[in-house]
Amino acid sequence: MEILHTTQALHFRDLIQYPDIRVEEGAFAFVTGRSGAGKSTYLRLLNGSVPADPGCIYYHGLPLEEYQILNYRRQVLLVPQAVYLAPGTILDNFYFYYDAQHQPRPEVERAEEFLRLCCLDIPVTASCEPLSGGERQRVFLAIFLSLATHVVLLDEPTAALDEATAHQVLGHLKAYCKQQGLTALCVCHSPKLVETYADQVIVLGGAS
Amino acid sequence: MKGIIQLEIWQFLLIYLLLVVVLVVMRVCRVDKTRQLVVASIKMTVQLILAGLILTYIFEHPHPLFVVAYLGAMTGFTIHRVLSKNRDLNPRFQVVTALSIVVAGVFTLVYFVGAVVGENLFNPQYVIPIGGMIMGNTMTGVSLALKTFREALQDQRSKIEALVCVGTSAEDILLPFIKQALETAMLPTLNSMVGMGIVSLPGMMTGQILAGTLPMTSILYQIAIMIAICTVVTCACFGSLYFGSRTLYDPKQQILHLS
Repeated sequence: MEILHTTQALHFRDLIQYPDIRVEEGAFAFVTGRSGAGKSTYLRLLNGSVPADPGCIYYHGLPLEEYQILNYRRQVLLVPQAVYLAPGTILDNFYFYYDAQHQPRPEVERAEEFLRLCCLDIPVTASCEPLSGGERQRVFLAIFLSLATHVVLLDEPTAALDEATAHQVLGHLKAYCKQQGLTALCVCHSPKLVETYADQVIVLGGAS
Repeated sequence: MKGIIQLEIWQFLLIYLLLVVVLVVMRVCRVDKTRQLVVASIKMTVQLILAGLILTYIFEHPHPLFVVAYLGAMTGFTIHRVLSKNRDLNPRFQVVTALSIVVAGVFTLVYFVGAVVGENLFNPQYVIPIGGMIMGNTMTGVSLALKTFREALQDQRSKIEALVCVGTSAEDILLPFIKQALETAMLPTLNSMVGMGIVSLPGMMTGQILAGTLPMTSILYQIAIMIAICTVVTCACFGSLYFGSRTLYDPKQQILHLS
């Protein structure tokens, strides 16, 4: 059963035209293509944070416009490339995003579980300020993953990581998505990672 | 108590000598603002001479139309200054800002002159100077509020993007920015209220005392005008920010257009 489907009519401000794309439910799909091919924009179009023409994006067979947009964004969750962590501890940041969704705050154990999933061996009470770029990206990823319910769109989640860590994180990620029945779309530049973990590869704007 | 001493023109010109002191300090410290000082002094002098002439005419020939025209010009100038400092607001945001300034200003002025002083709303002796104080402070307050709001939105793009992604409503995302801008805009007024009477005798009170008013009367006016200023700044900033921020997104798509 397909979960996300975008038609050929999907384009962004007449600059980028996207092909007809279908993603199967539960798949771990990769989006690749040269820089400037519109990969990040594609993910933003998919979660409705940039406007698409009506009737171009289908989720569970229904056009995007049929959904209440805020609920839709929670179901089709985009993890943006630009990391934002509020001042404070890692746990404060879990709370920050759960509060933003008006959700009950998570247990400490749950937060720790998601940090481990992203290969982070830091206590949740640690402050975010001294963390490195790669660690911050993984804390951000951990928080968003814990919020994912149906589809998760990942915009270069391993950009700030070395190759070994990137492999580990993606391995954990894929296993978690399979176990939870999550569908994932991941923008990634590393052909090796794509080859290893992709169920489906979507190439935008010609081969990279 | 006697009325104020009339300044002879040659006495008055003596005050300009003080500007020479300022120029000397600037020269010594190599502050490159000589031109601005000269231009500002000339502009101030010319504008105030004009205001004096116009006010003399209006006081001698009081007519509601003159009063309304004067207030209208003041309000128009306020709006123009605020918007020219915040050029990248979208047209609807600009309209909301202008309306907020007009509504807050008129309401406060009418309440002050009509209800508190109990004077005819078209008496130029009351309406024009009080209107001037109200509009002057509104201009500073709203400019500061909008500047703070815009800059915070620009600086925190990644925060806004992350919150949009987790499905936070645009209204919830913008609320902390409105709060922060409102606080910043109110701070100067609140600070001046705290220091009032200790650090400085405020302008209006000083003016009244010089003109021979009893100190106890002039403090009542001063307190009244400070509360009026606090109210007008708060209301004009709140109106511009709260209703203006709603022009940044449409409720169905919940996409923020920040520029």
